[in-house]
Amino acid sequence: MIFCSLFITTKSYAQQESYMSLQYSVSFGTGDLGDYISAASWRGALLEYRSAVKGKLMVGVDLGWNVFYEKKDYDTYSVGTESLSGIQYRYQNAVPILVAADYLILSSESLVKPYVGLGIGTIYNERSTDMGMYRWKENPWQFALKGELGLLYELSYRSSVKFAAKYYNGFKSNSLDGQSYFSLNLGMAWVL
Amino acid sequence: MKKKFIFYLSIIVLMGSCYPNGADYYEELDIVYTDYDDEFDFASLGTYSIPDQIVKITGELLEGEDPEFVKEPQNSQMLAKIESNMTALGWTKTEDPAEADLVLFPAVWTNTTIYYWYDYWCWYYPYYCGWGWGYPSVSSYTTGTFVMTLVVDGDNYIDPARVWTGAVNGLLSGSYNVTRVNNAIDQAFKQSPYLKTN
Repeated sequence: MIFCSLFITTKSYAQQESYMSLQYSVSFGTGDLGDYISAASWRGALLEYRSAVKGKLMVGVDLGWNVFYEKKDYDTYSVGTESLSGIQYRYQNAVPILVAADYLILSSESLVKPYVGLGIGTIYNERSTDMGMYRWKENPWQFALKGELGLLYELSYRSSVKFAAKYYNGFKSNSLDGQSYFSLNLGMAWVL
Repeated sequence: MKKKFIFYLSIIVLMGSCYPNGADYYEELDIVYTDYDDEFDFASLGTYSIPDQIVKITGELLEGEDPEFVKEPQNSQMLAKIESNMTALGWTKTEDPAEADLVLFPAVWTNTTIYYWYDYWCWYYPYYCGWGWGYPSVSSYTTGTFVMTLVVDGDNYIDPARVWTGAVNGLLSGSYNVTRVNNAIDQAFKQSPYLKTN
C-alpha cells in the first residue's frame, strides 16, 4: 500500500523542463585507481543539470569532483638498481565532465522515479604522490564513459531527493592507465 | 537563484577546506635512497676505509680552503652507525684507504628554501594588507641530506668509480634527532643486501 502510494500520479520532472541537482558523493577506486588508493573517498560532490527532451528521456551535463587520498605505511619502492624508502601520501582528484542522458524506467509522473543513465565525456585526473619533500605528479585527461542507476523521490513540486550509483570508466592515456571508480551519490534536485 | 549559487559555492569551499593534508611530523618526511652498480661484485671483497670526519658540503672550495665538518657528538654517532652496519654485512675496516677494497665517503649538506606568501591585495590597495583573508609572511624550511658513497679504484679503473650510494633526505627540525638519523642509516643498509660480503 505504502509502496503503491509512492507512485501516485503527480506533476513530474519530465513534464517540467529542467532541474539542477547537487549531490554528496562517496567513491571507491577500481582497477588501477583502486590499486593506487584502496581507501574510499569521502570527499566528493556532483553537480548535474537535466532537461526533458522527449517522453521519459532527459539529457544534460554532469560535473563532479572526487578526492581520493591514502597515507601508505613506510615502505621501500624499487626500480632497477634504485630503491627509495619512505611514507607515501597519495592523492588523486577526479573531475568527470560528461554529457549525460537518463531514461525513466517507470512513469514520468510517479513520485518515485527510478532511472538508468549513460554518460560520455572526459575525466580530468590529477594524481600526486608525495614522498619526503618531493612530489611526482601526473594530470591526464581521459576519455570516459559512465553508467548509472538511480532514483528521484519527489518531495514537493519543486524539489526531490536524488540517489544514484554510478560507475565511471576512464580510458588509458599516455601517462596513466584508465582510471575508474564506483560512486554512491545522495543529494537534492531542484526544478529550474 | 542567488541563494542557490551561494549554496553551491559553499559546498565547493567546504570541499576545499577538508582537502586531505600530508605529514604531521618531521620524521614522516624522511626518505632513504640507494643505488648500486649491479655488475660490481661486492661479495668478493672484504675491506673498506672511512674518514673519521663527515664533511659538510657548502659550495665550491677555494684553493687551500679546508672543508667544514659535522660537529661532535653527531659526527661520531653517525660514523659509529655506519661502521656497525658495514661490520654486520661482513666488512672489515682498515685505516689506510690505499689498502682498502672500497672507500666510504660520508657527506652532508643542507638546503634552505624560502617561500613568500603575499597578500594578493596588498599590491592593489595597501589598506587591505593583513585584513580578512591573509597577510604578508615569509616562511622557510631547511632540508638536510646525508650521502654515503662507496668508491672503488685500482688498476682496473681510470678514475675512482662509485659503486653504491646511500642518501638520506629529510626536513630538519631545530634540534638534532639521533634516532631519526640512525634509523635512516640502518634503512639504507637494510635495503642494500647486495653489499654483503662472504
